[in-house]
Amino acid sequence: MNRLGTVIGFTFKNKVRTKSFVITTLLLALLMTIGIHVPFFIQLFTGGDEAGANKIGIADGGQTEITQQIEDYVSALPGNEIEIVTLQGADTAALNTEAKEQELKGYLTIAPSEGGAFPAVEFVSESGSVPADVQAVLQPALESAKTRFITAGALSDEQIAQLTTPVRLGATSYDQSAGTETPPTDGPESDKFNPMNFITVYVLMTLFFFSAMLTGNMIASEVTSEKSSRVMEILITSVSPLTQMFGKVIGVFLVGLLQIGVFGVTIAINLMLPHNRNVLAGFDLDFSQMPLDVLGYGLVFYILGYFLYALLYAAVGSIVSRTEDLGQAVTPLTMLSLAAFYIGIFSLNSTNSLLMKISSFVPFTSPTTMIARIGLGEIAFWEILLSLALLIASIFFFGWLSAKIYRTGVLMYGKRPSMKELRKAMKAYKI
Amino acid sequence: MTDRLILQNVVKRYGDKTAVDRISLGVKEGEIYGLLGANGAGKTTTMRMVLGLIYPDDGTITYGGRPYGGDVQRMVGYLPEERGLYPKVKVSEQIVYLAKLRGMDGAEADKNLRYWMKKFEAEEYYDKRIEELSKGNQQKMGFIAAVVHRPQILILDEAFSGLDPVNVELLKLAVKELRDEGASILFSTHRMEHVEELCRNITILDRSKTVLQGDIREIKNGFPREQILLKTASAVEGLDAIPGVTGVEGDPNGYLLRISDESAAVPVLTAAMSQSEVRHFEVKEPTLNQIFIRSVGERNE
Repeated sequence: MNRLGTVIGFTFKNKVRTKSFVITTLLLALLMTIGIHVPFFIQLFTGGDEAGANKIGIADGGQTEITQQIEDYVSALPGNEIEIVTLQGADTAALNTEAKEQELKGYLTIAPSEGGAFPAVEFVSESGSVPADVQAVLQPALESAKTRFITAGALSDEQIAQLTTPVRLGATSYDQSAGTETPPTDGPESDKFNPMNFITVYVLMTLFFFSAMLTGNMIASEVTSEKSSRVMEILITSVSPLTQMFGKVIGVFLVGLLQIGVFGVTIAINLMLPHNRNVLAGFDLDFSQMPLDVLGYGLVFYILGYFLYALLYAAVGSIVSRTEDLGQAVTPLTMLSLAAFYIGIFSLNSTNSLLMKISSFVPFTSPTTMIARIGLGEIAFWEILLSLALLIASIFFFGWLSAKIYRTGVLMYGKRPSMKELRKAMKAYKI
Repeated sequence: MTDRLILQNVVKRYGDKTAVDRISLGVKEGEIYGLLGANGAGKTTTMRMVLGLIYPDDGTITYGGRPYGGDVQRMVGYLPEERGLYPKVKVSEQIVYLAKLRGMDGAEADKNLRYWMKKFEAEEYYDKRIEELSKGNQQKMGFIAAVVHRPQILILDEAFSGLDPVNVELLKLAVKELRDEGASILFSTHRMEHVEELCRNITILDRSKTVLQGDIREIKNGFPREQILLKTASAVEGLDAIPGVTGVEGDPNGYLLRISDESAAVPVLTAAMSQSEVRHFEVKEPTLNQIFIRSVGERNE
């Protein structure tokens, strides 16, 4: 155990101190900081001059009714920031000057109504386009005004409100509709569809994919370089290959954790900054709704899945003699992790599909698909246990196999051996 | 004194090819044992089996009476033919690391490291990375890495190759020091003069088989003396006419006579003394080089 600690410490220390690690970590942290600030910057630039920036004019050509309805609708919006001004200009030129004088974002022209139809509307602005935030407000405002215009008082306000409310399509299972299964209480079921759940699953999957890929490659190239520099021959006569392999895997895992930790802290600090907090609030996210059970299961699957991949990467690294050949050799593993990632990501909206069900029991894909099923789908507890058991069993199996390959592979130099050659070598070395 | 490292009838096969065929040898405490052989004779395979890198198909290897195991790993030191060190890690760090892996305490390893660095006049490399060092210095560091944990059994595969004469002397001194401290050293090389200087017992391998084994002096005595070195004040005539002499080369500063029989020595000396003043007369014993070429070469024919 003592030697395992020595291997872990050495791997960790040397990896962390490499220039490439320091630079990538800092660079990514910087990119994240910039990324988080993007909404703020956008706000900063679009909301450039505060006064009048969100003012839009309406030239209604005397159809004050419509103007009134738009104004009513807009002012009733929660958190409305758009101010409506009525423009008096008689022709386009006059309107343009007026809009510029009042520093409007643009103005809306309402053509005269013909034959009782809702009049054509046009947004006139400097750039000749409708800004997204203005569009978001004006579109429903105009639709509401149109409804009122066409019904012309024939419907009550409630009826109009009902008309504009979209139909809610509920969903339930056969069992629930038949009453054979107690309908879930409001709490957890509504939790399933909160955005935090979705984000947690998404983040965990992405995290898994990237750490499996990046640290896996790190491990493989580490092993290959040890082999090509022949340190391996000394190492393998000092420590058992299993200790060596696990030491390396755990060491690099800790490096990965450190990196993730740095990113986590970067994100947290950035989100805490006052100007970003407002932006975040705009996204309507509530971190207190973080689904802890999904997070917990996610971490277990994450760590176990990581080890499964890392051990295989170590084995692959051991059969390659030169770093240049490594890329080709790890391709199958890269494919596997890509498959795990994409099956998970593309099935986020159909977590109960057959594909998801099958792949959540396949050890290579279960770390992502199981998280998705736990977080967003319906799953029985025994399914989670079974999947975990399969994953752990496969870690033992592939750990054993990898140790054998590792032991054989590190002594085979020259061209990358085929499976058959490897088996023969194992027999020859009596491993 | 009993042998510390013993190989008995060790066999290694790769598929249907036999790499090492029934080799037996024993290395005592405080002994340097020479393992000689042409390329591909099975030296490295033998060493790898001793190191536990690969397992013999047949036969046994014991270390101080014990079979291979975790505690054996700690008492073995190894300098591979192609130096094994991390190119991008500081010398001090990796050597202490390797010593720790062999069960040595970090502080003690550092002390030993400094001792050896001083000995090799290489203290300024303590904080350097291996890739910054010259090839010869890398090799010195590799040697330190192999001996820093004070191994009882030391395996040196071509320890002196690629070194300049000054450094060869330094390393030879180090090897002798370790031997005098009681280490059992298994030593492979192509350089026969090193073997003659350092080793008492040798094994010559050729194509997986042991062709010669034993004490160097006895081996030499077993081979006929075939050369006479003669230095005289003036020219000596008629040497090639003496029965048993098959060839004469050189001048009065040093005649080299090839003889088919040692009994030719006396007539040669008498002839020389009668004609001139003899300054040097030696019936040369065969060099290890000649023995090696002979025993390996003969089999190749």
